[in-house]
Amino acid sequence: MTYPDDGQMPSPLRKPAILGGVASILGLTFAAYSSADYAAHLDRRLHDVHCSLVPGLTTGADEENPCRAAMYSAYSALFRGSYWGGIPISLFALGAFSFFLGFAVYLFFAGAHASRKALWFFAATAATPFAVSLVMFTISITKIGSLCKTCVGIYLSSSLLLIAAILVFRAANGIYGQPSPRPAGAWGPPVLWILALGASTLIPSFVYAAAVPDERPFLSKCGKLEKTVEPHNALLHLKTSHSVRPTILFEDPLCPTCRAFHQRLIAEGAYDRLDIQLSLFPLDSECNWMLTAPLHPGACTISKAVICGGEQARAVLEWAYDQQDDLVKVAKAGDADLRRVIGKRWGTAVVGCLDSAATKQKLNQQLHFAADNGIPVSTPQMYLGDRKVCDEDTDLGLRYTLTQLAPEVVP
Amino acid sequence: MSAPQGVNRAALIGVAAGVVMLLVTTLTVHATVQSARERLVTAAQPSKIAVAANAEEAYCTPRFKEVLERVLHSCGLAEGEARRGCKPADVKTFASISGQDFNELFTPLRKRGAVVLFDTGKEDLDEGALKILEDRWLDRKGARYFFVVGRASKTGNVETNRALSHRRANSIQFHIKEKFSDPELEKRVGLLWLGNEFAQLDKDFCTWETSRQGTKCDDESINRSAFVSWVDCRL
Repeated sequence: MTYPDDGQMPSPLRKPAILGGVASILGLTFAAYSSADYAAHLDRRLHDVHCSLVPGLTTGADEENPCRAAMYSAYSALFRGSYWGGIPISLFALGAFSFFLGFAVYLFFAGAHASRKALWFFAATAATPFAVSLVMFTISITKIGSLCKTCVGIYLSSSLLLIAAILVFRAANGIYGQPSPRPAGAWGPPVLWILALGASTLIPSFVYAAAVPDERPFLSKCGKLEKTVEPHNALLHLKTSHSVRPTILFEDPLCPTCRAFHQRLIAEGAYDRLDIQLSLFPLDSECNWMLTAPLHPGACTISKAVICGGEQARAVLEWAYDQQDDLVKVAKAGDADLRRVIGKRWGTAVVGCLDSAATKQKLNQQLHFAADNGIPVSTPQMYLGDRKVCDEDTDLGLRYTLTQLAPEVVP
Repeated sequence: MSAPQGVNRAALIGVAAGVVMLLVTTLTVHATVQSARERLVTAAQPSKIAVAANAEEAYCTPRFKEVLERVLHSCGLAEGEARRGCKPADVKTFASISGQDFNELFTPLRKRGAVVLFDTGKEDLDEGALKILEDRWLDRKGARYFFVVGRASKTGNVETNRALSHRRANSIQFHIKEKFSDPELEKRVGLLWLGNEFAQLDKDFCTWETSRQGTKCDDESINRSAFVSWVDCRL
């Protein structure tokens, strides 16, 4: 048996180099699927996304999909105000993993001839994907609230690469206190390698940025509201701290997409700069005649609770979003249970208000406002003044769209 | 193989592996972006999503809508019309329909509407009338138009009854206006008054929900009334 280092004995670098190579290929694969999913959505249509620890498996187009939630979040890309959707961070991973694959191959074949500086360089830099993964993992848990499996694939790959880095570091420092016999190496190559790592990390992003289509012509082609004023003053004015741009939102408190959109607007720092008129549009046939069956049972009751919130309407709406998963389950058990939950949180006055003629009428007037404007039966919908923000611009392209159409609301 | 040669060979293989992977993945991403760009300029499939609109119930048959539309436009109920309401002769003309057929068209509104009853020769709304009227008005759902059809019994002459049925229809409209201060009332409420000349109700309508449940009801008293209902049709 021969080995690539000197043909005499196994190299202590062989296993870590293989591990580093495997980790890099895995990381590349997951990052490539993630980047391709992102790029596919540049056509402003909805596509399935890859969301599995088995590379290549796709899942549906629902927003509940954690990979879609991560993709739509404010943390998945950089320069989102300059490019529609921004530059996905998975592209940086593509370049970095390509570099580490090449370096792992180099270490595998160089074996005992690889310098200590080469090993230290690999050990130091191959740990960086893990550091980035740790940050992204924390964001996933604390900000997005779910873990995307493709992202987890990258985290695992980064962890394997970290293990490879540690093993290489140990190999650089010798075994059992014996100094490694390998050459120390010059300082020139590490400088070149760091430049190569930087270039490799940036190249996919530059190529992507250069190819991204100009979405500006499409931003204002989704129609307008014929009437921006509800004659009965039935829309709810939501309190925000620095209202600078009149906006009308059509939302359903039990719609997951509305919740995600609400969170995105807050994450972008835009929500508090909007002067929001909320028109509730529960997708529940109990009060909404435009549906033959309830899409979100209980949404009418929760909508009435938002109306009954009065000055606290925003707080009730945000509570409904925060508790949405539980409220959906309770609503399935029955309206009485739902009212009990509302009463427990917001008091008997709000529960008593749910059935008042004024509340029902206000909700009905909001639904008629939607009908009078002939808006699509879907939520959420956002109108800046009278101009509709296209549905495809409310997720991936949200920051870019706001930057173009309402720069005053983008911090 | 000497050490420098081995290192050089390893470096070449490593660079080649890294560059190939970088190229393959970058070109793949570039191709995906280009493909998206091409799809972007081709027309997307027209959206099949439903559009919010007023309700359209099963009873909105073509015949029903035809009559309703004629009445709407001819009696000034359509938006922007200065004229308000329709007297019996107008309805007869515009509806182009017999009185019986006219009433039959409204039978699907049995559960939706109500009959507000009045005293002989009066147009005052009693407590029961106010309650049923307000209940019906608030139960709008997806309807766009609220119809008020005033009638009078045979008591009195044609002119008197025509005026009386007009006042009855008006008293309904005035109460709604006063109670609900709806700025869109004029666009929503359609007034017809038929006196005792056209489309008189027979006593079968006594079984409909009236404002005086439990009191005597016959062919005469049922016509001292105003029929009120939201109409769930798109016109």
